[in-house]
Amino acid sequence: MATEKTDVVIVGVGAAGGILAAELGKAGMKVIGLERGPRLKTEDFNPHDELRYFQRLDLRPNPKRQPVTWRPNANGRAVPVARQDYGNQAGGGTVHYGAVSWRMHEDDFRARSQTVARYGASAIPEDSSLADWPLSYADLEPHYDRAEYELGVSGKAGNLQGNKIEGGNVFEAPRRREYPLPPLLVEQAGAAFDAGAKKLGYHPFSTPRAILSQPYNGRPGCTYCGFCQAFGCHVGAKSSILVTKLPDADKTGNFKLVTGAMAYRVNSDNSGRATGVSYYGPDGSDNTIEAEIVILTTFIYDNTRLLLLSKTEKFPNGLANSSGQLGKHMMAHMMANVFVGFDDRHMNIYMGPSAQKHTLDDFNADNFDHSGVGFIRGSQISIGTGNLQGGPISLTTTAPPPNVPRWGAAYRDYLAQYYTRHAAMVAQTENLAYPDQMIDLDPNVRDAWGLPAPRLTYDWRRPNERARVEFMQKKMEEIGRAMGASLVWRAPVSPAGAPGAHHEGGTRMGSDPKTSVVNRYGQSWDIPNLFVIGSSTFPSMSGFNPTLTIQALAFMSADAIANRYKKSPGPLL
Amino acid sequence: MKKHEESRRAFLIGTAVGASAVAGAGLVPTALAQTNEQHPAADAPATTAQGHAHAGGHGAFLNDDDAVTVTAFAERIMPGAPGKPGARDAGVINYIDLALAGAYSDLQDFYRRGLAALDVHCRTTYNKPFAQLSAAQQDEAITALEGGKATGFTWPTSQAFFETMRTHTMEGMFADPVYGGNKDFAGWVLVGFPGAQPLFSPADMNSKDAFAGAPIIGLQSQSKTVLRRS
Repeated sequence: MATEKTDVVIVGVGAAGGILAAELGKAGMKVIGLERGPRLKTEDFNPHDELRYFQRLDLRPNPKRQPVTWRPNANGRAVPVARQDYGNQAGGGTVHYGAVSWRMHEDDFRARSQTVARYGASAIPEDSSLADWPLSYADLEPHYDRAEYELGVSGKAGNLQGNKIEGGNVFEAPRRREYPLPPLLVEQAGAAFDAGAKKLGYHPFSTPRAILSQPYNGRPGCTYCGFCQAFGCHVGAKSSILVTKLPDADKTGNFKLVTGAMAYRVNSDNSGRATGVSYYGPDGSDNTIEAEIVILTTFIYDNTRLLLLSKTEKFPNGLANSSGQLGKHMMAHMMANVFVGFDDRHMNIYMGPSAQKHTLDDFNADNFDHSGVGFIRGSQISIGTGNLQGGPISLTTTAPPPNVPRWGAAYRDYLAQYYTRHAAMVAQTENLAYPDQMIDLDPNVRDAWGLPAPRLTYDWRRPNERARVEFMQKKMEEIGRAMGASLVWRAPVSPAGAPGAHHEGGTRMGSDPKTSVVNRYGQSWDIPNLFVIGSSTFPSMSGFNPTLTIQALAFMSADAIANRYKKSPGPLL
Repeated sequence: MKKHEESRRAFLIGTAVGASAVAGAGLVPTALAQTNEQHPAADAPATTAQGHAHAGGHGAFLNDDDAVTVTAFAERIMPGAPGKPGARDAGVINYIDLALAGAYSDLQDFYRRGLAALDVHCRTTYNKPFAQLSAAQQDEAITALEGGKATGFTWPTSQAFFETMRTHTMEGMFADPVYGGNKDFAGWVLVGFPGAQPLFSPADMNSKDAFAGAPIIGLQSQSKTVLRRS
């Protein structure tokens, strides 16, 4: 058993872990990063192959080796989930993501109090644990700014220090300055979406994305090849952690990355301190890193699982769990789709960054009056492709129009006619937090290392969630008709209640140690030298993709650790 | 306008198929000719063991009988027609055979048992194996699988077997030719996908027309003729 000593050990070197590795290394701290997958290079992503990366999920965890199970409620045995969409390599999900980079709205940080003030407490479902964040947009704004500039995000401001700017997102919270890079070029789908949405009085704009519209920081601009979501970028124009913060971390000379490392326990002592992390190496070896600070930055499943696996006599319910909240309040976006098909023009949907090309924010957060609609909170509505990727295999995994069967001559003719003449809108609806939507350890299923699999108990089919999805689908249908589409059809939403995309929760942050797992810095209330940083700390999820907020939180925590904790270890609050 | 688009599309397909046929030693015209021959009236047998002309289309995993069945099944999922390459033209059987010997080797028993159950269902219902049914009967059998109405299935369920066959047929149509299907880019030509282009220009993005100006690009090959607007 090898034992190594360091200042900081980081488990999972993705959206958050990569930033912490670089920033703490810069601050002179010795950092070891543990990464379950490999460290790939830009050269590994050429050429592009839809079967390998989209269909066979080459950049995602192998669900046979790393199973995750799901059940809709606590009565019954969970079944393994066939596809996992999170990252499985250095850089984490930022390697394969669509790079959509949102700042949350001001009211996203106070979803509960905003709802109570505007609609009364009765508007919140009784069984929901909707909560305010323990920080405000203003607290996070400098870190959003830093993330956008250090990583490289393309977009157009819609609210510059309070001045609304047409063409940007006029619903966004005030930003101190423009984006570092102008918006990406518009494709046919974005142009048609803009025209349709404007006819209806909405406010479409180019989705902000961590994809370079021009050369920046020594990296080239986007080539619009279209192989974006599900793929690594073949020129390094996607601002993934792999090409941004990992090289920064290397330059500090204080960072060491261990790949193929499966962390299985956070070690702690009887004084209530974390002492390090134990992990299995790629050769099956059992290793321990002793560290002054332990930071967990894995996908939400493993943040919770690791803490549950690390229970001791002193912490019998798992580490950082005196509140009993560990694993609870899990959330995920529903990905409701409406498709549009045209007979008088091509959409060529395979061109350009493939996830959310253009967006409107009119129905997100509390940007509109929810009186009488039967739900609170909302969703962005974006144009792109059905499965966020524009290849032909992707289209065959989505629903054809209702009058077209899923196979046979009519299906073939549908593909031939509409592959280049279709687009899809997606609404990523903000599902509320509920305490019984949770992650724990599966008593029956184990992974390739013999560890209990993370088990999800989750059912999206709640009245508020159903009403929100229905509302957004109607809006998207309306936009599709305004776009001039000859065919507008909605894809059925998951009938089974399984979680969709962008998972959040499990190690909720809050301002009260009795009802939350960590504070605003991701610092455990119980164990001050243990941090958990990522979307697992989100108290509410917003109708936005989570990554830029994860990255802003990572910059904020890195500052707090380097400037305050390092001088005086202990609770930051 | 629509007519114009349609005729241009037909031209593009003709151009691209013709072009890759030149590059591919005449394979595409052969395949298309077979398609024409193998699209008989709905009450005639859609294929037979003798009619299975792609001797090189399997052998890594599937035996001859199973290959005939899978070929016939895939062809009903994505039927070919003149100017519209189908599963047989694209070599879907070759894709599935290679996948079952490699990436999907954990599905070998799934296929064995699924094909055996399909055989039982067809012999019970029609007194014939699947490949000897008329196209209409084959469609009826597939519909029964899809709807969970077919007899004889336990594991895999008939729906699971149908879904897998459908998925693998689509993969064989539209995955890069390096995996054994999508022969001469037949699937990509059918839908108008130009393959893994390394870049698109602002003019490409601004156009409401079908993409033109480049060969179809695959992992190890590309079409020899540049697609052009008519």
